[in-house]
Amino acid sequence: MTEFSPGLEGIVAAETAVSEVDGANGRLIYRGGYLIEDLAPIATFEEIAYLLWHGELPNPSELSELRRQMADSRHLNDAALGALMSMDPETDPMDTLRTVVSAQGASKTLNKPSLAEAISLTAVFPTIVGAAYRRRQGKDLVEPRDDLDHAANLLWMMEGTEPPPERAGWVGLYLVLLADHGLNASTFAARVVASTGSDLASCVVGAIGALKGPAHGGATLAARSMLDKIGSADNAERWLNDANARHERFAGFGHRVYRTYDPRAKILREMAKTAAPELHKTAARTEELALQILHEAHPERPNATNVDFWASVVLTGAGIPKEMFTCIFATSRVAGWTAHVLEALADLRIIRPASRWTGPEGGRKPMQLAKR
Amino acid sequence: MTSAYVPGLEGIVAAQTAISMVDGENGRLVYRGYVIADLAEDMSFEEVAHLLWFGRLPTRAELDALTLELAGSRNLTPAATAALNALPVDTDPMDVLRSIVSVQGVEHKLEKPTIALAVHAAASFPTILANFHRRQSGLGPVTPRADLGLAANYLYTLNGKESSPEIVRALNTYLVLLADHGMNASTFTARVIASTESDLASSLVGAVGALKGPAHGGAPSAVIEQLDQMGTPENAEPWMREARKRKVKFMGFGHRIYRVYDPRARILKAMCERMNPKFFALASQVEETALRILHEEHPERPQSTNVEFYSAGVLQAIGLPKTYFTPTFAISRVAGWTAHVLEQVANNRIIRPQSEYIGPEPRKPVPLAERG
Repeated sequence: MTEFSPGLEGIVAAETAVSEVDGANGRLIYRGGYLIEDLAPIATFEEIAYLLWHGELPNPSELSELRRQMADSRHLNDAALGALMSMDPETDPMDTLRTVVSAQGASKTLNKPSLAEAISLTAVFPTIVGAAYRRRQGKDLVEPRDDLDHAANLLWMMEGTEPPPERAGWVGLYLVLLADHGLNASTFAARVVASTGSDLASCVVGAIGALKGPAHGGATLAARSMLDKIGSADNAERWLNDANARHERFAGFGHRVYRTYDPRAKILREMAKTAAPELHKTAARTEELALQILHEAHPERPNATNVDFWASVVLTGAGIPKEMFTCIFATSRVAGWTAHVLEALADLRIIRPASRWTGPEGGRKPMQLAKR
Repeated sequence: MTSAYVPGLEGIVAAQTAISMVDGENGRLVYRGYVIADLAEDMSFEEVAHLLWFGRLPTRAELDALTLELAGSRNLTPAATAALNALPVDTDPMDVLRSIVSVQGVEHKLEKPTIALAVHAAASFPTILANFHRRQSGLGPVTPRADLGLAANYLYTLNGKESSPEIVRALNTYLVLLADHGMNASTFTARVIASTESDLASSLVGAVGALKGPAHGGAPSAVIEQLDQMGTPENAEPWMREARKRKVKFMGFGHRIYRVYDPRARILKAMCERMNPKFFALASQVEETALRILHEEHPERPQSTNVEFYSAGVLQAIGLPKTYFTPTFAISRVAGWTAHVLEQVANNRIIRPQSEYIGPEPRKPVPLAERG
């Protein structure tokens, strides 16, 4: 047995061609060998999903076929609708997503994960996310629009009005950037579930559960909440110094893998100037000061603004309410989760690590209840 | 530093734990210092759950308090009941469990996992399954009885009448035997999800999804199906020889960890002989033949009847339908899952391993219009 590496840091748990996080050089490579900064300006979310599933970008006819399949899969089945409507509208939207995906994927027999199911599960996320949001607002649900692309339909499902192309574009860019990221905790959870031979919905609900955690998908919300507390560029210095004195962690900074600037954060930072000019000012000043304070405290550590920091600004500019941030993250990452599950199927071996025993030696005799 | 890729994380230490130890060399399963054989006959499932959660066997007063708390947490929330009734009656009970555990655990704001939440979750599992089984049978739900222990109450709510003490005792022993087992795939899933600081229900939903897989908890019903195909002890060997030619796997054999007879299988085998002689007559013949054939094929491998083989006969004797074998496993294992989540949270680091990229080297994407 090996030494125990907490958090499995540095332990290779899978071989993958879906994506590669090259932390040393600050590169994120999606399947096929494409760098994220080359894909972001030219590809829609649907093209990225196709790429992650198939290993190559679609040609125009392949893309329109995928768009048609996705548009046809945007409706909830009766079980999912029943589960959705049973829940208190105030429910945490990630819990709604976890539950409704589980119900949507419930079946009579065990089905092997398939590409068709990956497409239909990915397609239905905006329907669930939109419904969770509208129910929180006390509004009636709207029907999905099969003439809109994935990003625009997501905003439509939430708002019930057709979004301006600009806002749909910002959401689309976010969905492209977040669609996969190596063996992060939620993707790894999906692969562990897949390794037992379970079904796709089981993998995806496990991944949603993992993404919900503040140390993972919940970090975007935390970054925005910090920016809300800071309030303005002028207030950044005082707030950060006070927070630092209280030993409070700065949300939106730090990443286990990147040793240079996260390439996704770089793209989002640029986009934030147009998407949310006011919040961009606060965020830019916050970033500058936070990196300075962090550098003074730990000069040996690399500068590390993470993707959550700038994602929170762009999503705000796109009109996404902050309590929905993690759900929007899931709406993107489900493409990666499903691609990883399909990849894992090719060589299924149960993921069953070892553990180190730290308890008492085995063999002591239990005392009978009456004598305890 | 990155280690070499080990498929399935075999032999890689992914956690330190004091909850259970699987000593594969010596065929010992230890719960918090007690070997399983010393617990299986005399302890109630509630005592063992206390042991797993609190690290020690309860005093009479502690056991009474826990029993009361469990009995008081058996009812489903209105949302869980409504969602359960919205699922088609032919849904796989594991998918029902996954979905309804998700609804039962919804929250308005993120809660840290606690022992109280673990108790509530464990108490709800039998009710979810019993209520769904009643619905499948066209019968109304049975109100849980606070004066019955967990095993007795499960059978009571399934069948609408009390079971004999012998049957209750057998189910209790089964639940004690299966309550924890080191870093198995579902427990590991629960810990990965917990490591993102997510909530308890998210961990449990993921764990149920992993347990569903045929390589993990989904096999005991397959044991019965295989035995049914053989029909008689005389037909066992011809059927098995024929099956091997078609590369059919013998269900109920093989385990990554045990090098000698699984101590749980030994206890279940004895129970099976007593309770289910018809099953035992065939199963013991099949076991003998399977081990012989497997030894002929791979003399270097240890002989290994796994826990699922004789579980099938015991659960059948208890009167459970085949589709409820794996869900009943979950009723037991939820004690271990929750104990592991609490242990993970107490000393947490996000579980985020590395992957090895096996895709193409970076290259430039072609814009959509130019793709052939």
